[in-house]
Amino acid sequence: MQTNFTADQLRDPDTASSNQILRTCVHCGFCTATCPTFLLLGDELDSPRGRIYLIKDMLESGRDATEEVVRHVDRCLSCLSCMTTCPSGVNYMHLVDHARTHIEATYVRPWHDRALRRVLATVLPRPGLMRMALLAARLARPFAGLLPRGPLVFKRLHAMLRMTPANLPANAAVAPQVFRPIGPRRGRVALLAGCAQQVLDPAINDATIRLLTRMGIEVVVAKGAGCCGALAHHMGKHDPAMDAARANIAAWSGELDGEGLDAIIVNASGCGTTVKDYGFMFRAERGVWPKQAARIAELALDISEYLLRIGYAASRPAADLTVAYHSACSLQHGQKITEAPKTLLRQAGFKIVEPAEAHICCGSAGTYNILQPDIADQLRARKLGNLAATGADLIAAGNIGCMTQLAGEALPIVHTVELLDWMAGGPAPKKLKMPALAAD
Amino acid sequence: MIPTDEAGIVAAIQHAAGPLAIQGHGSKLAMLRPVQAAATLSTAGLTGVTFYSPNELVISARAGTTIAELAMVVAKNGQHLIAEPPELGALLGSDQPGTIGGAVAANLSGPRRVAWGAMRDHVMGLRAVNGRGEILRAGGRVLKNVTGLDVCKLLSGSHGTLAVITEVTLKVLPAPERRATLVLKGQPPAHAVAALSAALGSPYAVSGAAWLPADLAALVPSLSWLGGNVTLARLEDFAPSVAYRSERLRAELAEFGAVEMLDDAASAVLWTDIGNVSPLVHAPGAIWKISVRPSQGAGIVAAMQAIGATCMLDWGGGLVWVSGPATAAAHHAVEAATRAAGGVWTVMRAPDPWRSAVAVIPPGPPAMAAIGARVKAAFDPRGILNPGRMVAGA
Amino acid sequence: MIEQPEPLHDVLARRDSIVAGLRRLLPESGVIAEPLRLKPYETDGLSAYRQTPMAVVLPETTEQVAAIMAFCSSEGVRVVPRGAGTSLSGGALPMEDAVVVGLMRMNRILDIDYADRCAVVQAGVTNIGITQAVSARQFFYAPDPSSQLACMIGGNVNMNSGGAHCLRYGVTANNLLGLKIVTVDGQIVDIGGAHLDAAGLDWLGLLTGSEGQLAIVTEVTVRILRSPEGARAMLAAFKSNEIAGACVDSIISSGIIPVALEFMDRPAIHACEAFAHAGYPLDAEAMLIIEVEGSVAEQDDLLGRISAICARHDPISLKVAESAEQSAAIWKGRKGAFGAVGRISPDYLCMDGTIPTSQLPAVLRRIGEMSASYGLQVANIFHAGDGNLHPLIMFDANDPSSFHKAEAFGADILKLCVEVGGCLTGEHGVGVEKRDLMGVQFTEIELDQQRRLKSAFDPGWLLNANKVFPLTAALRAA
Repeated sequence: MQTNFTADQLRDPDTASSNQILRTCVHCGFCTATCPTFLLLGDELDSPRGRIYLIKDMLESGRDATEEVVRHVDRCLSCLSCMTTCPSGVNYMHLVDHARTHIEATYVRPWHDRALRRVLATVLPRPGLMRMALLAARLARPFAGLLPRGPLVFKRLHAMLRMTPANLPANAAVAPQVFRPIGPRRGRVALLAGCAQQVLDPAINDATIRLLTRMGIEVVVAKGAGCCGALAHHMGKHDPAMDAARANIAAWSGELDGEGLDAIIVNASGCGTTVKDYGFMFRAERGVWPKQAARIAELALDISEYLLRIGYAASRPAADLTVAYHSACSLQHGQKITEAPKTLLRQAGFKIVEPAEAHICCGSAGTYNILQPDIADQLRARKLGNLAATGADLIAAGNIGCMTQLAGEALPIVHTVELLDWMAGGPAPKKLKMPALAAD
Repeated sequence: MIPTDEAGIVAAIQHAAGPLAIQGHGSKLAMLRPVQAAATLSTAGLTGVTFYSPNELVISARAGTTIAELAMVVAKNGQHLIAEPPELGALLGSDQPGTIGGAVAANLSGPRRVAWGAMRDHVMGLRAVNGRGEILRAGGRVLKNVTGLDVCKLLSGSHGTLAVITEVTLKVLPAPERRATLVLKGQPPAHAVAALSAALGSPYAVSGAAWLPADLAALVPSLSWLGGNVTLARLEDFAPSVAYRSERLRAELAEFGAVEMLDDAASAVLWTDIGNVSPLVHAPGAIWKISVRPSQGAGIVAAMQAIGATCMLDWGGGLVWVSGPATAAAHHAVEAATRAAGGVWTVMRAPDPWRSAVAVIPPGPPAMAAIGARVKAAFDPRGILNPGRMVAGA
Repeated sequence: MIEQPEPLHDVLARRDSIVAGLRRLLPESGVIAEPLRLKPYETDGLSAYRQTPMAVVLPETTEQVAAIMAFCSSEGVRVVPRGAGTSLSGGALPMEDAVVVGLMRMNRILDIDYADRCAVVQAGVTNIGITQAVSARQFFYAPDPSSQLACMIGGNVNMNSGGAHCLRYGVTANNLLGLKIVTVDGQIVDIGGAHLDAAGLDWLGLLTGSEGQLAIVTEVTVRILRSPEGARAMLAAFKSNEIAGACVDSIISSGIIPVALEFMDRPAIHACEAFAHAGYPLDAEAMLIIEVEGSVAEQDDLLGRISAICARHDPISLKVAESAEQSAAIWKGRKGAFGAVGRISPDYLCMDGTIPTSQLPAVLRRIGEMSASYGLQVANIFHAGDGNLHPLIMFDANDPSSFHKAEAFGADILKLCVEVGGCLTGEHGVGVEKRDLMGVQFTEIELDQQRRLKSAFDPGWLLNANKVFPLTAALRAA
């Protein structure tokens, strides 16, 4: 596609990168078909191609972001379904990231929007704060009905309250430490212990560590590592995102240069997409950072990729359960991992079914379900309907965001790794609440 | 007037003082409304194949070339006319052969229509002379062509009311190596349509799906020995495919009853008879053709039996040939039943007085009547080409 | 940039009141009139041509479309219909004084009838959406344009879209039973239905492929077909375009009609392989994708016969897909071909002429010569069974001279197609792209006849007046 940047504009590395991306786009429109918001809203402006056009116009003109552009870019889930569809290889992710940074820098949001975003960017990446916030929210939950429904600000509050688990798990954040393998050491990995996931569902990390150590893998939760930076990144908050990423890179580089690492394991695929992109995020930084970031990004693996690589085997008899596999967008579109989790679950003895529209986002998308509750609710209902139609006994997913978004309905939802751990000798996931299974 | 070239057609139209009845050999004059015209302009003098490229699946012929001749030419190259344009002369009380121009102008298709498309679907191009005496070329000689408005489709089935077709270019296909027909005996129409729906909804590429009541089946040599109503499904392809699919389809249709098989030779004759509506050739009275959604076919048969009419079904139940009393009352019964079923009727054979007086085809929606009048004027501003052939005053 | 009809200045002057009138007909999100938000609607799949419209409306019902048309008609406002905006001929290019009517919100499937093998869908349902809706019962909707993932059935009807499988199953026109249309003055009319063939004039046939010149299509009744038991593709690679062309001839003359027969030349093979990783033969000058259907035994039989024919044409390699996945990968490369070219060139123009299949080697030779003289690369993709040729001319839109050369090159190719007995467009439509070449294929008498036909539906030339027909003096002066 034709672009109109001045030579001066192109000297900015972000603009140069976006120009390259725009030049790759041939405006064929294939991406519209698999975009969740285009499906729901039926407006070119809420499709990837429309957003690309709005972003192109905004960046070319050098104008501050306007309310119209912000509205449509904000509605993007960053599910990256468009990137799977695009035959031309347009890197929409980097383009929309650039746009979000530009928006954050040039657009003044309404006070309540700004406040909410600041709260989310501050609280979610910090397990301690997050836990306190959830405890407070639990106290507020009974009063949710008193909130008016109309204005966006209240819808968002409702959405946040709904996210609050009915029973907040005990504080089980994983402190930095080394988990020794059971038996001879076959490998050594770092685990991204994460932020919000630890508070919302500590069982995922527990299962991951149990499973890996049982398989002879030493698991390091590195001191200094924390949130991957994605939450801030997706809100266009460049500096906090870079700070978070820098801390991780530093922590893991220390391990890598010390005892060594075979991989950096991520069990929340939303984070995985970001960690795998560290190389690009730091490409224009000074000093050792670009090289170190690229090295870390190379090592990052989703837990399912790693398990497939080292060879997973079940040790229990099959549970005779049908699992609807929900493919998180960050896994299938962001990281292009589609088969590994299903292969592993089959190896664990489960019957795997997939819902219709498996490529469409569930509406979680990081903080999207809080910031865009209307669209997120529609996508949630659509996804739950498709999942229920499979007739499965439970849902498995590889991302905490999706699990929170889809929890609380008829079908229990668990992390893939919890099922794998269970069938390899671990306890049955508590979320299944099946008497026969819980008695295990 | 029977000009022997296109220039002659142009001259005849340019010099026409009044309305012209447009025809080939006149094999289909009994259908639709009679045309009140002082002169007749025939395309029967425009004959011969003008272009044939078997490897490109394309043949062109002047409009007056008979269907029989064209079918013979392509058969020599192992090919066939895809839509099986029927010879309706006998049914319509004429001893004249049908021309390819007539088959296109009337968009007449045989049994294969249900699977492979109508006559108009295989018209890749044509030449015609409009009511202003201008030569028009539409389409071309290539299989895919969306250049400009599709005048080919508009003229196909326009019964000479917009322009006189002088040459057509058709898509042809390799003729099948083998044919076979599966026969279910004794089915009432509703069961027959259900069986045909199952056959057409199977993956075995059924290319003919018909039903004949016992009295009509008795008139068809290849069916007379069976006795009773017959439900027929045709397969056409390479011999191994036909053998395989016959067995599979026989198994799928077993729930509807025992299945008999007709071989290649018997099938060839049978489906020509069905296309030409041979069983109704000697039926007295009027003939209608009704097109409905297939599942409505059986209901039409029942409604027609109530007025003493006889029917046969083709196109899986979607095409009902009706033979009934030549009365306006019978026609109104046809209209009512067809309307209720959401379909369309065409009067194919009827006495002149009443076919001038009734709606020989359904009147379209009012909006289209107005547009239709303007379309007619766009091609034939003087209103001289086959006026009143389909609708009174147009 | 292509010449547009002179804007209706009185309409432009009444812009605000017209937009206000539209807002009375539709919910708030259904009318777009802010300049910045109109921008993404300025173009479609042919992004070299751009024009921001006066407004965009997004109706959700046929009744809303009728209200919009009645309003625009009474106000004398031009209208440009739009589906998914995937046209490669600029079929949805707006005009400055026009209202774009986007049918994207009309994306519901209204009825599926397996017994009568038909489905009723709204115009904004995607082509593949129909097949997806019926595939659980092993049915499908046959026409499969390469953009089938995104393109909408309303657009398919208006362009009479084809696809790779039309050699066996026909194009859109051959797979329709009925339409619901809105006339230019806002009347809702049902054309056809669930039955075959009209008794009167074939409005269905005329409206199909009419490129939005005659009416707005809001609902479509399509035929659905039972899927074959299976299908399998094979690849045959050859040393030259001539040999591949001769092989196509041999296959057809043997009496075999594969369900698809696709040709790619060397640059196309390389571009698509980079995208699909389908194992395309990178050492070949030309490649055929040949697909057959039926039971496994039937597929084996046909692929055996075809392989034997190919073997007589000195192939570099013959590869029969061994699984559905391999077949899918083979098709993924072909279906993503246009976008894949986007990987090797920033921009391309996709031509769409049809030629008599026997002319392929000669035409490709001439295109090669033109490519050298224009200094622009070209990749050729060809529906070999039906003669539809897609040369993809690669250029750089940031270099204006490159674009002008590409346009001239494209025009030369299309003239060549007509010269050898073919036509300007096989399935993409005339749009704006080929509008000014119509005189190459048609006489002025023939074009005037078509214009009068349009006038019969749209006396004021309000519908898509910038497309299909070379501009008349009246449109230039307005």
